[in-house]
Amino acid sequence: MTALRSGAGARVVARRRVSSESRRRALGLTLALPPVLLLAVFVGIPVVLAIGFSLGHNGGLNSTIADIGTGTHSATSWWGTGQAYVDVFTDPRFLRDLGVTVFVTVVSTLLVIATSLAIALNLRLRGGRLATVFAGLAVVPLFIPVVIASWAILTFYSADGFVRTAFALVGLEGPTWGYTTIAVVIGSVWTSLPFATLMATSGLQSVPDAMIEAAKDAGASTRSIVTRILVPLAGIPLVIATTFTAIGILGQFTVPYFTGPNAPTVLGVDISKYFQAFNRPQESAVMAVVVFALASGIAFVYVRANFRSAKKEGRI
Amino acid sequence: MTLETSRHTLPVAPLGAASPSADHRAGLVVSGLTKSLGGRTIVDSFDLRLRPGELVTLLGPSGCGKTTTLRMIAGFLAPDSGTVTIDGRDVTNLGPEKRPSAMVFQNYALWPHLTVFKNVAFPLTVKRLPKAEVTTRVMNALETVGLTHHAQSRPAHISGGEQQRAALARAIVQEPGLLLLDEPLSNLDAQLRVRVREEIREIQQRLAITTVMVTHDQEEALAISDRVAVMNGGRVEQVDAPSAVYATPATSFVASFIGSMNVLTSAELDRVRHGRAEAAGPSETGGPFAAGEPLEAGEPLEAGEPFNAEGETWAVRPEHVVFRPAPGGPIEVRRILPHGHFTEVVLDAGGLELRAVVTGEAPREGDRGDVTLTRVQHYRDGLLTASGEAR
Repeated sequence: MTALRSGAGARVVARRRVSSESRRRALGLTLALPPVLLLAVFVGIPVVLAIGFSLGHNGGLNSTIADIGTGTHSATSWWGTGQAYVDVFTDPRFLRDLGVTVFVTVVSTLLVIATSLAIALNLRLRGGRLATVFAGLAVVPLFIPVVIASWAILTFYSADGFVRTAFALVGLEGPTWGYTTIAVVIGSVWTSLPFATLMATSGLQSVPDAMIEAAKDAGASTRSIVTRILVPLAGIPLVIATTFTAIGILGQFTVPYFTGPNAPTVLGVDISKYFQAFNRPQESAVMAVVVFALASGIAFVYVRANFRSAKKEGRI
Repeated sequence: MTLETSRHTLPVAPLGAASPSADHRAGLVVSGLTKSLGGRTIVDSFDLRLRPGELVTLLGPSGCGKTTTLRMIAGFLAPDSGTVTIDGRDVTNLGPEKRPSAMVFQNYALWPHLTVFKNVAFPLTVKRLPKAEVTTRVMNALETVGLTHHAQSRPAHISGGEQQRAALARAIVQEPGLLLLDEPLSNLDAQLRVRVREEIREIQQRLAITTVMVTHDQEEALAISDRVAVMNGGRVEQVDAPSAVYATPATSFVASFIGSMNVLTSAELDRVRHGRAEAAGPSETGGPFAAGEPLEAGEPLEAGEPFNAEGETWAVRPEHVVFRPAPGGPIEVRRILPHGHFTEVVLDAGGLELRAVVTGEAPREGDRGDVTLTRVQHYRDGLLTASGEAR
C-alpha cells in the first residue's frame, strides 16, 4: 500500500516537474518572440521580397513597385530571371561605382584600423597624458551627427574652404578635396574611427600586463611584443573593429552623398538614385543584393574568427 | 639553562668591503635598493647577496615590498637608488629584455594563443636562433620539467601544475644567470604545491641556477630555500638559513611571523611563572636563567634587578612549552587542536593564552598542570638580545 502510494506520489511529482519545465520553456519562447518578430517583419520579409523582386518576382507585395518602376523584368521560370543582373553588370557606370565602393571601403578601413591601432598601442604600451588625450579625441566624432560632420568636411576641403584659404595666405595653391572620393575617404575615416578605437583600446587593455612583461623578460622588442603577443591576443576585438568598420563603410550613404562627387559614387548612393531619381527599383534591388553579398563575405570573416577563437579556448 | 647574548646585527653579508660590480663570485648582488611609490617607501635600503646556484626566498606579509624588490631585480621597476649586479655585471639601468634573468610569473603568463612548445621557444625565436637549436633547447627544457608530451597543447588545455612547469621551462630555456620566481605556487592546490615546489628545487639544484623566489608562504620558504630573507615594511629583518630563521629569529617580528610563537611581555612571562614580579631580565654579560636548567614554573628567572618591562618581549615556540599534568596546578587546558601527528594545546595561565605542542598522549580540556619553558628568546626594542636553551 505504501509502495503504491509512493509510486503514485512519484508520478504526481514527475507530472509537476514536466509541467513546470514546459512553462519555463514557454516563458523563454515568449521572451524571445518580440525581437524575432521584429526582425522577421521589418528585416526578414523586406529582404526576401527585395531578392525576389531582383529576380523578377513582381507579383504579390512587389506588384506596386513593379508597376511604378521602369525597366523591370518579370520571372520567366520558377526561380525568376537574371535579366536585371545582366543589365546591372553590363552597365559600365555600375562597374565603375562598384570599384569605387570597394576602393573607398578598403582604403578607409585600412586607415581606420591603422589609426585606431596606433592610438590603442600608444595608450597600452606607453600610456601618459598625451596617449589618453589622443584616445579621447578619437571618440569625439561619435558625438557629432554624420550630416554635420559631412558638411564640416566639405567646407573644410572645398574650393573656398579652410585648407585652400590657409594655403592661399602663404601664397600656395591648396588641394580641393570637396566633392571628391578623397573627401569620402576622409569622412568615412572620421565617422568610423570612434568605434574602431574603442574596440582596439578595450581589446589591447584586456591583455594582462604579465603577458607583456613575460615577453619583455624573454627579450622581445616592442615590435615583437606588438606583432606576436598584443595583436594576436586582441585578435577578436580587432576583427570585430575591422569587419564592422568595413560593413559600415560599404553600405554608407550620408558621407558619400554629401561630400562625394555625383559620379563616380559609391553603391549606397547609387541604390538611392536608381530607386528614386531614375525610377529603376529593380536595378536598385540588384545593387542592394550585391552590397549584401559583399557584406556577408566580410561577416563570414568575423564569424570564422569567433569560431576559431572559441575552438582554441576550448569553448566549443 | 644557558644563554647566548647577541649584539643585534642583521646577518646580511657586508657589502662595503668589495665593490659589487667587481664581485664575480656572487650570482646576484643587490645593494641599497630603495623604491617609493605614491609618497610611501615600499623598499628601503634593501641589501642581498646570493652565491652562484643559491636559492634565496623573500618572505614576508602582503605589502612588505618583496614583489617590488623582485620587480626591481627583474628590471620592470627602476629603483630610486641602489644597484643590481648579476654575475658581476651592473644591470641597474638595463630593461628586463637586456638582463640575464628570467622570471616565472605568479599567474604563469603563458600566451594562450601559442602552444606550449611555442611559448617555451619564444625567448629563443625573438633572438633569431637557428631553428634546429631552438627545437633542441626547447625539447630539452620540456624534458627537464617533464612536459614533452604536452609540447603541442595549448595552455588552456593543460592543468595548473603543468602550466606552472611550462612557465618554468620558458624561463630555464634561456639559460639565465638568475631565475626569479614570483609566488610561483600560489595558484596551485595544497597537495600539488608541495609536489611542484620539490620539483622546482630539484631542477634549480640540478641546473645550479641562482634563484630568488618571492612567497608569503613560510612553509614553502623554509622547505626549499638555502636562505630566507624575511621582509617587513620594506626592510630586511633577517637573512639566514631556514633552520636559523626558525630557531633563532633575529627580531620579534620574525619570531611572530615565522611559525607559531608565544610572544610574551616580561610581566606575562612572569605570570606564567607564578607572578614573580621581581624576576630579572638578561644582563649584557650573562643570562637570566640558571645554567643547564629548564625554566620551571614558579622558579625565579634570576635574582637581580627587576625588569624594566617596557620594550622587552619574550618568545617561546609551542614545542618549547612542555605541559605537565598536575591536579590543582596553576595552568588549565582550554582547547585541544589535533593536527594529526601532533596536538596543539591552548593553555590558560591566569587569563593569558599560551600554546603548547604535545606529541604523545594529549591532555583533556579542563586538565590542570604546570609548564616548563625549554627554550626562550628575549627581545629588547624588537631585536634579539638573548636566547636561553635547556640542556
